[in-house]
Amino acid sequence: METPNPPRWPDKLLTWLIAPHLREEVLGDMHERYFRRAERLGETKARRQYWWDVLAYVRLSFIKRKPSEYPNPTPTAMLSNHFKIAFRNLMGGKSFSIINIGGLAVGMAGAALIALWLQNEISFDKFHEHKNRLYQVYGLTNSAGGEPVAIPATSQPLAPTLQQNYPEVEAVTRVKDVDQFLIRVDDKSFTGIQGAFADPSFLQLFSFPLVEGSKNAQLNAISSIVITEKLARKLFGTTDVLHKTIRLDSVDHFVVTGILKDLPPNTRFTFEYLLPWDYLKKLGSGWSNESWLSNNTPTYVLLKPNTNPAAFTAKIKDLTQRYAGRRDVWTHFLFPLSQWHLYAEFENGKPVGGRIETVRVFGLIAAFILLIACINFMNLSTARSEKRAKEIGVRKVAGAGRGSLIGQFITEAFLTACLAGAVALLLVMLALPSFDMLIGTQLSIPYQQYSFWLWTFGFVVLTSLLAGSYPAFYLSSFQPVGIFTKQFKKSQLGLSPRKVLVVLQFTFAIVLVIATMIVRDQIIYGQERDKGYANTDLIQVSFVGDIEKNYGPIKQELIRSGAAVSVTKTMTDLTNDGWRSWGLRWPGENPKDTNTAITLFSSDADLIKTAGMTLVEGRDIDGYRYPADSFSVVLNETAVKLMGFKNPIGQTLSNRDEKRSWRVVGVVKDYIVGSPYNPIPPVVIQGPGAWFNTMHIKFNPANSTAENLAKAEDAFKKYNPAYPFDYQFVDQDYSRKFENEQRTKTLAGLFAALAIFISCLGLFGLTSFTVEQSRKEIGIRKVLGATVSQIVTLLSTDILKLVLMAFLIATPITWYAMSQWLQDYSYRIRISGWIFAAAGLLALVIALLTVSFHTVKAALMNPVKSLRSE
Amino acid sequence: MRRSDLGEFEEVVLLAVAVLVPKAYSVMIAEELERETGQNVSTGAVHAALQRLEQKGYVTSVLGEATAERGGRRKRLFTVSALGGRVLTEVRSVRNRLWDRIVPPTLLEWS
Repeated sequence: METPNPPRWPDKLLTWLIAPHLREEVLGDMHERYFRRAERLGETKARRQYWWDVLAYVRLSFIKRKPSEYPNPTPTAMLSNHFKIAFRNLMGGKSFSIINIGGLAVGMAGAALIALWLQNEISFDKFHEHKNRLYQVYGLTNSAGGEPVAIPATSQPLAPTLQQNYPEVEAVTRVKDVDQFLIRVDDKSFTGIQGAFADPSFLQLFSFPLVEGSKNAQLNAISSIVITEKLARKLFGTTDVLHKTIRLDSVDHFVVTGILKDLPPNTRFTFEYLLPWDYLKKLGSGWSNESWLSNNTPTYVLLKPNTNPAAFTAKIKDLTQRYAGRRDVWTHFLFPLSQWHLYAEFENGKPVGGRIETVRVFGLIAAFILLIACINFMNLSTARSEKRAKEIGVRKVAGAGRGSLIGQFITEAFLTACLAGAVALLLVMLALPSFDMLIGTQLSIPYQQYSFWLWTFGFVVLTSLLAGSYPAFYLSSFQPVGIFTKQFKKSQLGLSPRKVLVVLQFTFAIVLVIATMIVRDQIIYGQERDKGYANTDLIQVSFVGDIEKNYGPIKQELIRSGAAVSVTKTMTDLTNDGWRSWGLRWPGENPKDTNTAITLFSSDADLIKTAGMTLVEGRDIDGYRYPADSFSVVLNETAVKLMGFKNPIGQTLSNRDEKRSWRVVGVVKDYIVGSPYNPIPPVVIQGPGAWFNTMHIKFNPANSTAENLAKAEDAFKKYNPAYPFDYQFVDQDYSRKFENEQRTKTLAGLFAALAIFISCLGLFGLTSFTVEQSRKEIGIRKVLGATVSQIVTLLSTDILKLVLMAFLIATPITWYAMSQWLQDYSYRIRISGWIFAAAGLLALVIALLTVSFHTVKAALMNPVKSLRSE
Repeated sequence: MRRSDLGEFEEVVLLAVAVLVPKAYSVMIAEELERETGQNVSTGAVHAALQRLEQKGYVTSVLGEATAERGGRRKRLFTVSALGGRVLTEVRSVRNRLWDRIVPPTLLEWS
């Protein structure tokens, strides 16, 4: 007889539906009934009936599972057990735990520091209430001939014109920085405090909260001042200073009408006090400038809601051209607040990014550091958990379910990650002050923001899931039988992902090392560039108080007392970027040079002698010997080349409307103006007819610097008694030009060290396991006569290969990235091959040293010990 | 002993168990009831009733031997417990007493 079979689908359904303890009898009943029916009624009917019968079992009494007859521990009981086991495991391998937790903590701390900085950069000026409607008015030079240049400033009359004539404008303010006032309170005086002049609407545009005073009533009265709490404490020792009086430059009195909360670190403004714009007007020439043709003041506008900025820009584009009454001057455009900090670089008048590139690079570095730290953590945890495969086997045999094994390993990874997170937080707290100093800002850990804690916790959970997933999900899936026999060993051979990770780590470390070295070379290259002047024993003093008035007597006193060998007054200090001017005319001028920027400088006399410049032709300006020198100029070589003079001496330059003219009396060798990495601009040094703001003093090399300074101070005290003697050494000013590069170098170096450290920790931990695994092999080799060096070589070759591979990957990446970086400098090094070789060698040596600790130990071990036990 | 403890279907199943002992298990009971009532009776319904009866203590069960037509699965065999027997008797005597009081002519008028 053929054996008809009951339909399979209902059976499957029943198996899944019915509680396990009832499955046998129910299925038995169903099948028996089926066969009996099939015999009696035929198969088709039996099948149909079968489905109906299945439905009869869909009731709670069949579906409900029987409670287990063994005690069911509560989840919390198991959890505390997991913690206990995790703690014992951590304690059991102390050195291992320290490596593992330490590595992760260092990586997390490094990444967190960068993240804090990034957060600060990205949030720049984003706290203003009207941030979406705030714009800065830029100028854009005419592109007829020459490259258009974006100017982040406007003329002073532009702001009131905007306010009066354009209904789209809600408010507008000018902000002009000032730091040369002598601030006096009672008998205490302070200099060098950063302040700003601003229009009354400043606090309506920018949301700097006031502690005292009303936002709408500030900066109206000409003798009012708004100060920050910090300055209040500095001046008065208290913040309760409303209506108190401050004197500026011993002449004008100001009443404190408002006290601002200290400015946050993430704003472009750095003032500590605000003065009304009316006071600037009162100060008159040198401060106030009603010309439409001088761009000297940043101007900010707040547009009304729902104003189309593009349409508005079109309206104000030719504002200056209309009001100045000429077509050959700059146009205007609006630069939105969201771009101010990170996208403020212009090339050819078009935005080309800016700081955002640095932000991206460091974001990438942070991500990578975090990644290699995580990889390490996973790698080490995994390597260690393989040792515990037997433990998993025993647990399974004793009845542990997979769920509880997963729970155990995840808990363990979580505990480790939490510890690492705590250590990392501690490290960040300790390192933050020095990190702040390094990058020149003030970061703080946002303890009060719960998004910070959420991120931290989320990250810890993620790390622990990643690190714990291998033992938790992979190892727990093995049959206990497989773990105890050799089947498990096979899976251990799959070491390749681990190798990939080691390569990745070392690639990253080598990239950073090479980058650091290239930045260092570029700095040295810039520092060794011929400056064109001698900046030793040279100081510069800004004109404050009576210095300008008493310049003559001070100069005489300095030379008479023997403190100085020569003295000159100039427009700005030598290291300054200088004042750029457009529209100087010269005979035989090429029409396309009309808008070429020329850097202006000035000197009354003796500039070449004081600054140690080299005269190429003609003579220095000397307004005292040649009274006609008021309108004489000295050119630098680049200017001569630009103007195309064969015989520069005696040529005449004139300004745009040809009302004024200057005679060339000398040519000076090119000297560095602005950044030492830029090409030297054409420079015109004007005679005493120009304006002056600084004096340079060349000290007498026969005396000690301290002696010279003391004498100089006497001279200044005598002729400028109200002010302290403030001076700067020009060589120190000069070295400050490298600050940015130095910072990049320090940061890159720091993170290179961090990356190497973490990678080495990982390598160290990993070799300890590979060595451990091949203990027997080493023992047998030794017994058969292998030497220590042979065994060390055997164990190290693998690592060597990985590091070499990392080097091969890192080289082109770094070469490309650093070439891009160097593109920003027109005076730059060529990347030389030895840097790569040196970095590769360094990585190799460090890796070998790290590995050798374990390999040498293993190779020296007595084979009897490793072979004795089985 | 409250009467409501025993539903009608439960009573019939209990009776069938008593009839079929010692070979009383779901399939047999279901077929027996089908034969007696002429209606489809699923093993699921019978099994559920047996579960309830066992919970109330009217039947006891053991796992029996396996047979080939059940795919080698064992069956659960039921017997009526002493309590079950007494309940059955009680139910029957209640019915008998009521039957006895029906006057014969009325009985005929139903059909």
